Amino acid sequence: MEENYDLTLIIHRYDPDTKRSWKQTYHLNAGRILRFVDLFRKINEEEDPGLAWNSSCEHGQCGSCSVKINGKPLLACELLVENAVEYFGTTTFEIEPLNVAPVIRDLVTDIEKAYKRVDKVKPYIIQSAPLSEKGEAYSITPDEMAPYINATRCINCFCCASACISSHRGFLGPNAMLASIVRLMDPREMEKIERLRVLYSDQGVCRCHSSHACSFVCPKEIDVAHFIALAKEGRFGSKSQKK
Amino acid sequence: MSKTLKIDSTIRCDVLIVGAGGAGLRCAAEILERRPGCRIIALTKVPHPQKSHTSTAQGGLAAVDPKDPSDKNLFHMFDTWKGSDCTADQNVIKKISEASWEQIVWLENRGMHFSRDHEGRLLKRTFGGHTIRFGESPAYRAVFEADRTGKGINDTCWGETIKRGICFMNQTIATELLFNGNRCVGSIVFKQKEGSFVRILSRATVFATGGIGQVFKVTTNCRQNTGDGLAVALRAGFPIMDPEAIQFHPTGIVGPGILASETLRSVGGILRNRHMEGFMERYAPKMKDLAPRDMVARAIETEIREGRGILNPDHRIEHVWIDLRHLPHSVHEEQIPEVRGFFQKYMNIDPKTQLCPVRPSQHYHMGGIPTNEFGEVQTAFQETVPGFFAIGECASASFHGFNRLGSNSILELITMGKYAGERVLNYMEDADTDLPDEPAEATFSQFSRYVENRGRENIGKIREEMKSLMTENVGVFRNEEKIVRAIEGLADLKKRAGNIPLSSESLIMNQELVERWELDNLLDLSMVIAHASLNRRESRGAHFREDFPERKDAFNHHTLASMTEFGKVNLGKRSVNQCIFEAKEKFYEKFGIIERRY
Ligand SMILES: Cc1cc2nc3c(=O)[nH]c(=O)nc-3n(C[C@H](O)[C@H](O)[C@H](O)COP(=O)(O)OP(=O)(O)OC[C@H]3O[C@@H](n4cnc5c(N)ncnc54)[C@H](O)[C@@H]3O)c2cc1C
Ligand code: SF4
Ligand code: SF4
Ligand code: FES
Repeated sequence: MEENYDLTLIIHRYDPDTKRSWKQTYHLNAGRILRFVDLFRKINEEEDPGLAWNSSCEHGQCGSCSVKINGKPLLACELLVENAVEYFGTTTFEIEPLNVAPVIRDLVTDIEKAYKRVDKVKPYIIQSAPLSEKGEAYSITPDEMAPYINATRCINCFCCASACISSHRGFLGPNAMLASIVRLMDPREMEKIERLRVLYSDQGVCRCHSSHACSFVCPKEIDVAHFIALAKEGRFGSKSQKK
Repeated sequence: MSKTLKIDSTIRCDVLIVGAGGAGLRCAAEILERRPGCRIIALTKVPHPQKSHTSTAQGGLAAVDPKDPSDKNLFHMFDTWKGSDCTADQNVIKKISEASWEQIVWLENRGMHFSRDHEGRLLKRTFGGHTIRFGESPAYRAVFEADRTGKGINDTCWGETIKRGICFMNQTIATELLFNGNRCVGSIVFKQKEGSFVRILSRATVFATGGIGQVFKVTTNCRQNTGDGLAVALRAGFPIMDPEAIQFHPTGIVGPGILASETLRSVGGILRNRHMEGFMERYAPKMKDLAPRDMVARAIETEIREGRGILNPDHRIEHVWIDLRHLPHSVHEEQIPEVRGFFQKYMNIDPKTQLCPVRPSQHYHMGGIPTNEFGEVQTAFQETVPGFFAIGECASASFHGFNRLGSNSILELITMGKYAGERVLNYMEDADTDLPDEPAEATFSQFSRYVENRGRENIGKIREEMKSLMTENVGVFRNEEKIVRAIEGLADLKKRAGNIPLSSESLIMNQELVERWELDNLLDLSMVIAHASLNRRESRGAHFREDFPERKDAFNHHTLASMTEFGKVNLGKRSVNQCIFEAKEKFYEKFGIIERRY
């Protein structure tokens, strides 16, 4: 195990004022357990305060720091230097912004635009089921929740959308479909028809080629493709799917 | 040559909400439910409301279930009062506690995925300091959504606001409040993506900007928690209440500062210094590693200070170890899987076979913009400011006094969010949008200074120096000598910050420009924190003075600290509301000035 690594970061840059794009190479020496967000900060402090990048929570909970590193979409706050060296088998890393929306500057993508697809599936309860008693919580058992609870862990980092091979322009993409599938399985939601109409439209599941790239890259290890497969078969029932 | 900065456009709306975390979103949802069609603009610094920091709260949210035969609101109120070290306001405690269960149901009915028991009811867990019958036994009072309760709240409230129609302006910072007479009529905002300044005129303005963690070197808080809301309020002449009341969690994971929960110690983890000594025995012979949070934090800091810490070479942070190696396999697998995962993911350490580095981590700010129990902001003279509201971690009502109990913060977000929403609607009955008295000169003089500054300093480096200065001198341990050193150091850093050149004058997504502004916010806030800490010559809750280790009755009041010119801090007082005690009903004596002993 080495203590320090000499790294080469090739970062894709974009200047919105001049509309110029270029690749910039940074050489830095970094400790083995620094994360890529720490490397970006180090570049800002030591070399280039102008490099723009995104992050917020910096512990894998918010999905703000997604970038592509050597082609793989991932969370920059979760990737340690020594793990990256081992995983990619190199100390040279090419870092690009996520390709799910226009780039604003350097590694910062306009995620708000990508979110439009999530908004389209209405990520809330459209029409609530009747309550047994007003002022009470619904009664839902863990068994009833089991089929969809994993899908509620999605943080909308858009890594899956970035990896999805079906990059058809109108396609909702894996995470937006996931948000809809959650409410199709949630017994509190009554409005299933409208949801199905969107999911089975030409923007929905039919665009998916079941490549499983989404499941492969999801930092939350959600089996996104599994949920989409269920949706293709129309299996939204809350029982009998998984035990 | 520099650009002339100008207002690019003016927008009018009914309500401007600055900050869309749990507090801001809950407030917006309340307004929209009660008044459909109300024009709300909500700002965030992050790329999307879902990225707000509330999303990271893990543990749970306190609420007394009226169907629970053993628990009562009165017990929750007592725990909160005792935990606050007798500095929370009892009118606020009462209001929040009594609304708690209704707010849980509100969230559940709108789709939050709470964890359930086998009969389908909401599960509850215990949290430190929450008890039944005034300390008799632990209370099962916190409902939760697995280890992502904050995400559940944030997602649910966000869903409700987009369902009802709201306008979000993301990556947009509020830089200055606007007034007409004493009435708040909106704010100047800087849209980072477009690089433009916009004047938003609103009938009511709500601040919900969250925490201040970036003042310190190790923090559980996110990168954007630079205390902007507090700094903007200070510059507008408002005080900050109890800025010195800052909570440190004893075990933050070194480097990222991620929370390593209390469970590690309750399942048998042992804190060790560089000599491998289980040092808690020396500090708390009976409770050892299970002593209360603040005590453990102080023990760890003492070890480090006396040279028994270990330096992490990568993050350049000194720490102690938590030893989990002796715990049975089943404990690792079943009781601490998440935290174990954090050590594996962020340190490449396997707690089963390796020692884990931890250090006290700044976690929560009890202080903030002073408000009454409806979220209406107050001046230094305790007059409410028409049209200006503050809720969530950036506000201080005060529900937590000098020490917050776990699971009480996210409860505060949703209850105060709702109350402030109601109040905003009342206020708007006879308020219209108005033009401010003065143009946005403060913002422009600030920002053009940043662009024009020349020299050899670097934002990141000054920020790091400030964080170290605050951590060492105004952190877990405070004393007069250290605080004075911090005050001098901050003045020097503020001067040096004037020599930071920006590498680009562009206004579009210029991260450096925004970080420069944030640095000023951090420095201003640090200065206020330091002065308030100096002035409070006692120890109370999370504020610990080595030179005054006892609590004193003479300080049974809140601090109100104002600063319109850097370094010139005015200190005032606000009395603590004790309405429960004064009502003299059954058990009222529990709400007197009692000892905080567990
Ligand atoms: C790791 C962690 C775990 C926690 N766990 C718990 C728990 O289990 N239980 C509990 O009760 N509490 C917990 N807390 C505390 C609690 O999560 C926070 O106090 C709470 O979420 C703060 O919510 P908020 O709405 O006030 O602010 P935030 O959620 O931080 O939102 C602030 C908003 O303001 C925006 N903003 C900030 N400045 C500006 C500006 N200048 N202009 C425009 N927008 C701005 C931000 O972008 C964001 O949208 C935890 C905290 C942390 C860090
Ligand atoms: S399985 Fe479908 S949604 Fe997932 S990456 Fe492949 S095509 Fe895209
Ligand atoms: S499904 Fe996974 S990869 Fe896709 S947005 Fe959600 S968390 Fe990210
Ligand atoms: S910064 Fe939040 S997931 Fe990386």
